[in-house]
Amino acid sequence: MQKYEKLEKIGEGTYGTVFKAKNRENLEIVALKRVRLDDDDEGVPSSALREICLLKELKHKNIVRLYDVLHSDKKLTLVFEHCDQDLKKYFDSLNGDIDPDVVKSFMFQLLRGLAFCHSNNILHRDLKPQNLLINKNGELKLADFGLARAFGIPVKCYSAEVVTLWYRPPDVLFGAKLYTTSIDMWSAGCIFAELANAGRPLFPGSDVDDQLRRIFKLLGTPTDETWSGMNQLPDYKPFPLYQPNMSISQVVPKLGSRGRDLLQRLLVCNPFGRMSADDAMVHPYFTDLNPSIKNDRCERI
Amino acid sequence: MAGNFWQSSHHQQWLLDKQDLIRERKHDLSILSEEEYQKIFIFFSSVIQTLGEQLKLRQQVIATATVYFKRFYARNSLKCIDPLLLAPTCIFLASKVEEFGVISNSRLISTCQTVIKNKFNYAYLQEFPYRTNHILECEFYLLENLDCCLIVYQPYRPLLQLVQDIGHEEQLLTLAWRVVNDSLRTDVSLLYPPYQIAIGCLQIACVILQKDQKAWFAELNVDIEKIQEIARYIINLFELWKTYDEKKEIQGLLSKMPKPKPAQQR
Repeated sequence: MQKYEKLEKIGEGTYGTVFKAKNRENLEIVALKRVRLDDDDEGVPSSALREICLLKELKHKNIVRLYDVLHSDKKLTLVFEHCDQDLKKYFDSLNGDIDPDVVKSFMFQLLRGLAFCHSNNILHRDLKPQNLLINKNGELKLADFGLARAFGIPVKCYSAEVVTLWYRPPDVLFGAKLYTTSIDMWSAGCIFAELANAGRPLFPGSDVDDQLRRIFKLLGTPTDETWSGMNQLPDYKPFPLYQPNMSISQVVPKLGSRGRDLLQRLLVCNPFGRMSADDAMVHPYFTDLNPSIKNDRCERI
Repeated sequence: MAGNFWQSSHHQQWLLDKQDLIRERKHDLSILSEEEYQKIFIFFSSVIQTLGEQLKLRQQVIATATVYFKRFYARNSLKCIDPLLLAPTCIFLASKVEEFGVISNSRLISTCQTVIKNKFNYAYLQEFPYRTNHILECEFYLLENLDCCLIVYQPYRPLLQLVQDIGHEEQLLTLAWRVVNDSLRTDVSLLYPPYQIAIGCLQIACVILQKDQKAWFAELNVDIEKIQEIARYIINLFELWKTYDEKKEIQGLLSKMPKPKPAQQR
């Protein structure tokens, strides 16, 4: 820990406090994240270990880099690449207006990071604006990767703040235990809409019921035909048969027709019907994406 | 993880240079000769191998534990941590990473006690001195020194593919597999990528079995010089074994070895 000088508290993350710090040796700014360990026979939990070593191997421009893991009195400190802000703070600075090219660039980078993770069989499972980091060069990086799987999706934050349900797909809200890459694609869809609306969340539900109601009011309540197997999910309960009464263009007025088409392919209640990250990256919406972003070499040497 | 070796931490961070090793070992080699140093590592490779076999671990897990052990001392002097503590700690960590499952600490400690008492009593007169808290503390230290690079690629998988390509030869595979195990007693796992080690070991096995595979080797697109270097490391090991009696020498070597200050051993 001597190696790092703590500068300031960045936030209270899901798993512990996050500090901004400076590496005394090379003056690099990093983010320190503490993970508490239970005192038992296992030592470093194997789930955490597996995720730490995966993060160590996942080297991609759109995934936050794990530099180091340190220990001190039963605590594990993860040393991450530092980014200037997260997407939530970025939204707060916008005053309700966002450049459509920025929306496209961020969305593409989000999908590219996800595609890389999914190709390595890793799910994020807890995507939200707070763990998408943005730096001064307009680069977007997925953070907290794998931790969600290592420690289970927590119901309450370390800081006792309730974890947001806003980005959870209907299958998970109905208690589905078998997660697939589709979970991240739903969250990506929610974030896409939020980007297009300069930070206004799409489904700001207050509890599981309210969350599902908001989703079904926009997309229509799924039926056995559109989603077979739904009523077998552990926490399934019937909802009124809402008909989609608002068109997507009213929800995301600033998004063009191609963008709306992409959004509708991500926001599909039936997890099997959701578009994959690979397919989403070649969607016509991205045809006119700035080539310097599209052709970036992402896998770092 | 079905990863890509070329983008792995193994390839990018942990293929060292011979010069790195010479520099990092400078302190230990001011006390031990190069041959004595190697003999100590041969001994602890056997300790790890025996512990792993007693715990019924797959060879892949044992090999990973051995590479952790070698990587740690590639950056640290032997006096940093007693290798008798680091060896079981490497096993403990590798079994979790390789998804073998957690070995309970009590089982690990009791296996160490049994193995030291029954198989290595020619080296240690006293019983195994460490307990769970030592292993857990050491695990953190190991993790940090490995720079959290825990995924290790081994020569076994490329070896299987190569032998398959030559045409199924049970005898050749068995021998080459054993040569790969022997290669863990040398520095090759720190210096060369696993597929080159596999080819080097296969070549030695062909020579021993007097199989002429020159044409097949000639068609491989590899740096032949590297393969020769790997083969030389392993042949040197075989030469050393011819005249070395571990049972007679190891106690003297272990007492000469640089050690942690007693205060550090709680």
